[in-house]
Amino acid sequence: MKINLHRKLKFKMLQIASQTNSRHVHIGSCLSCFDIIFQILINEKKKEDSFILSKGHAALAWYTILNYQKKISNKTYERYLSEGGELGIHPSSLFSKDIPLATGSLGHGLSFACGLAKANLLKRKKTKVYCLISDGECNEGSIWEAALFASSQKLNNLIVLLDKNNFQAFGRPTEVLGEAASKEKWQAFGFNVYECNGHDLKALHKIFNKVKKLKNDKPNIIICDTKRGKGIKEIEDKLESNYLPITSEILNRYEKKIS
Amino acid sequence: MRKKLAEIILAEAKKDKKIVFLTGDLGFNAFEILKNNLGQRFINAGVAEQNMATVAAGMAYSGLKPWIFSIAPFVSIKIIEELRNDVCLSNSNVKIIGSGGGYDYELAGPTHHALEDVGVLLTLPNMKIYLPAVIEDVTKIIKKMNREKGPRYLRLVRSRKITLSLNKFEACRQVLSGNKVTVLALGSIIDKAIEASLRFKGKIDLWVIGEMPFKPTQKLLNSIKKTGKLIIIEEHVATGGLGQHISLYLHKHNIKINNFIHLYAKGYISKRTGSRDFYLKESGLGVESIISKLKCQMSNL
Repeated sequence: MKINLHRKLKFKMLQIASQTNSRHVHIGSCLSCFDIIFQILINEKKKEDSFILSKGHAALAWYTILNYQKKISNKTYERYLSEGGELGIHPSSLFSKDIPLATGSLGHGLSFACGLAKANLLKRKKTKVYCLISDGECNEGSIWEAALFASSQKLNNLIVLLDKNNFQAFGRPTEVLGEAASKEKWQAFGFNVYECNGHDLKALHKIFNKVKKLKNDKPNIIICDTKRGKGIKEIEDKLESNYLPITSEILNRYEKKIS
Repeated sequence: MRKKLAEIILAEAKKDKKIVFLTGDLGFNAFEILKNNLGQRFINAGVAEQNMATVAAGMAYSGLKPWIFSIAPFVSIKIIEELRNDVCLSNSNVKIIGSGGGYDYELAGPTHHALEDVGVLLTLPNMKIYLPAVIEDVTKIIKKMNREKGPRYLRLVRSRKITLSLNKFEACRQVLSGNKVTVLALGSIIDKAIEASLRFKGKIDLWVIGEMPFKPTQKLLNSIKKTGKLIIIEEHVATGGLGQHISLYLHKHNIKINNFIHLYAKGYISKRTGSRDFYLKESGLGVESIISKLKCQMSNL
């Protein structure tokens, strides 16, 4: 049933993206992390847990799930990117308490998540903090400041998801500043590191179980192997996937494929 | 000043268990008392101010009251985007202490001076700035900052000796009364303003401003209207400081003055290094410069 839900919501996201006819949705990134966000928010996260989308440009994927959870009304969701609407390309903290941080400028979310995680430890709360970052985002120095903070403060209630889609805005990470999203780097920064196919819900669930069972003092990161534009062959694993609209032709072809 | 600050914070944190104190690796020979008494509520967040600011935003979202501390430019200019996106936009309850307003860090040089912090921070929504004139102000300011909800910045300065005793801290305080020239000093530069003003007994109406932005009191406006002559003194660049703030206010409220002099920090004119007094003198903020400007205003009667 949840597989159907997953398919239904992904299609809904594409429909909304297509409706806007906008080139600014960053649909490639939305598709690279949709499965991760779905798995966290629908299957893993408890009510008291927190989720921070640090890669704010994938907001539409998050809005879609929040809409399903009735935290964003249908009216609001359907006004996505419209003049005078509540939901922009990047999430803003001005709108809803379910969006605690305005992200879009990369390298902020992980520090905020560390603040939430540290507060939970101080309050002796057993809740978890999930934070989704991207491989391109690991260019930001603040990510590594946060990583040092997380390990030095023993934030073992922190679960970072790294959406490793092997693209950043204008090239492959290896062509830009090098591979910052590597297992070795995160291990060196004191994290429990896991690797996983970020499009396989069952595999993600298995890893989450492993993380939840492990009891040590380290923060956790799951490096998720993903593809930009996953599932849409016209844009899959292509740089331009973040700069193209979802045309009605693409949407129709996708609908036929999944049905 | 930092030792005194630590005592004040400790007293407040003992009463208010929500307070968490984060420092950007500073506090040697001053914050040991906090480190030893606050337990897990004292955090050395390392030389990583951007992270520290946003961690504080996360803690505030969880209902805690985080205070962050570093040298003034490192918790204002260096972290401006964190303050804008993560703290001020959502009116997050983060308190910031910037140590060393103006040229306070003296020989440490331009990287450690804070000549632009007030202007830069005042561009952010919900931000309020406190500027103590004397050490006695700090206790009241800390209590006020902790009581109020939202981002607050304390421009902490070294303890200075002044020859007068000031009334209790408030946004707009009269220090001397006089009938010829109205002088406004922004926080810490009050020491120089007093010294200069005392040369003209009964002539200088001297005020010290301790909050930005602030609304001038009726008494202050009456003084400005009566003398028609205004001198603004601030250890801050011209842009975004007290001079611009008050000029805009007077224009908006159609208050006419005959003469306006703005004395402000001019940076590093000789490109040489020195004490606070050295830099103030170069900027025309030394006692002798202020006296000559006051004389100038007097002769323009």
